[in-house]
Amino acid sequence: MDIVDPVGSSAATSRSLAARPASLEGVTIALLDNSKPNAKELLERLGALLAAQAGARAVRVWSKPGSSVSATATVLEEIARSARVALTASAD
Amino acid sequence: MACVVVGTDEFLPLARAQSAARGLPELPVITVPHPIGGIAPGAAAAKAEPVATSVLRALTSAPSAPSVAGAATGGMRGAPSDLDEFQGWLMEQGWGDGLPAIPPTAERVKRMLAGTRRGPEEIVAVLVPRLGRATIEAVAANAVMAGALPEYMPVILAAVEALADPSFNLQAVQTTTHPCSPLLIVNGPIARRLGINAAGNALGQGARANAVIGRAVRLTLQNIGGARPGKEDRATHGHPGKYSYCVAENEAASPWEPLSVERGFSPADSTVTVCASEAPHNINDHGTATPEGLVATVVGTAATTGSNNIYLGGEPLIALGPEHAATVASTGWKKDDFRRAVWDAVGVPRGRFTSENLARFEAIYPEGFQDRSSAAVLRIARDWRDIMVIVTGGAGKHSAFIPTFGATRSVTRKIIE
Repeated sequence: MDIVDPVGSSAATSRSLAARPASLEGVTIALLDNSKPNAKELLERLGALLAAQAGARAVRVWSKPGSSVSATATVLEEIARSARVALTASAD
Repeated sequence: MACVVVGTDEFLPLARAQSAARGLPELPVITVPHPIGGIAPGAAAAKAEPVATSVLRALTSAPSAPSVAGAATGGMRGAPSDLDEFQGWLMEQGWGDGLPAIPPTAERVKRMLAGTRRGPEEIVAVLVPRLGRATIEAVAANAVMAGALPEYMPVILAAVEALADPSFNLQAVQTTTHPCSPLLIVNGPIARRLGINAAGNALGQGARANAVIGRAVRLTLQNIGGARPGKEDRATHGHPGKYSYCVAENEAASPWEPLSVERGFSPADSTVTVCASEAPHNINDHGTATPEGLVATVVGTAATTGSNNIYLGGEPLIALGPEHAATVASTGWKKDDFRRAVWDAVGVPRGRFTSENLARFEAIYPEGFQDRSSAAVLRIARDWRDIMVIVTGGAGKHSAFIPTFGATRSVTRKIIE
């Protein structure tokens, strides 16, 4: 028996990831806190470890307005302008 | 900008689905053991140490070449012809809800399509998190599986359209750990014509239209939207309404204008309103004979510390049984009088929240939590107008309080036949 696929097609379009820097030497790391409890603590510790291990210049934190909404366009633009690499969070 | 996602292992399927839907299936996701919330901040931060090297590598290594996203193209699929075998096969595909389903053969889908004047290729909505194209045909396939009749299609399609309205926040509703599911409230003549139950056991079993319209919408969200239980759908418990959650307003038994008319539609229009709702919480009051007394009873059911509406806002719903509605209206109260009285009365004293929650809620909703005095009380909605009221159900002295996900607004759409 043949059935009509109940999933259908996806509007997702393929994109390429940004090129990675060879090292984090002198680089600014952005942290995007998803506003869940302790996410900032985890990301900040990671940022500090990366800065210490790989010689990053600075670590800066941004936040989503709440865990159930997207980061604002302003925040995303600021991150793109200010940092070379970013860590985001997906967790609870 | 080179980006790496840091998550907990429990959320890996969601992070993967999300990156694939955004066309970046190779986006590195580094996980730490779940959870990070509800533990000491130092313990959460300590989870960074074992993964720091992996994060560094992911930030500084060349990403692999992107693969083609959105491989599924719709169309036909081979499936077991035996109806019993089909059930197991459907579950293996991740397309079922656990209950038996009708195979969406081309012939059945064609019959379902006769329930709408819209063409099969027309896209009703793009549903997140998968960015699935909800074509009329794909929705019809899910409607067949749910056991729907063709004449239910206009309600199902209007509901799917409503769910994709940005103010509904479908991305969060589909993927949250919170137990919410779209409650469909149907108003207008179509509810009576299709037999959508608004009387006794309206929120329970026993009416085909309620059962399968809600189920068709759920299967559409799971399959086209790509919110599979335990994978992208991260609900901690979910609730039984996730199988199906559809009700009509008992307009004939209501002392007031129906929800649709409140929202600017004519009484001759049929509408569906979608709310991201928890399960109903009962309000039992067999004794009270005044509106003020009934409001006092509502307080006990609605004023709870563990409520999303307290800190995220949204529109909690009170589904009044017709007898309670008559009590409220008995001294001339309008719906707005009831809303105001409920909003004024239902508050949770600040002292009932834990210090950890207060710190979190103050960050999320500073305006609401800025009063730190011992007299401070938190309301169940940001504004009294946000309290939704409908009349539904049959004989008896019960009403239902139905909180929502909070970061969501209900959406009403006209049903076009």
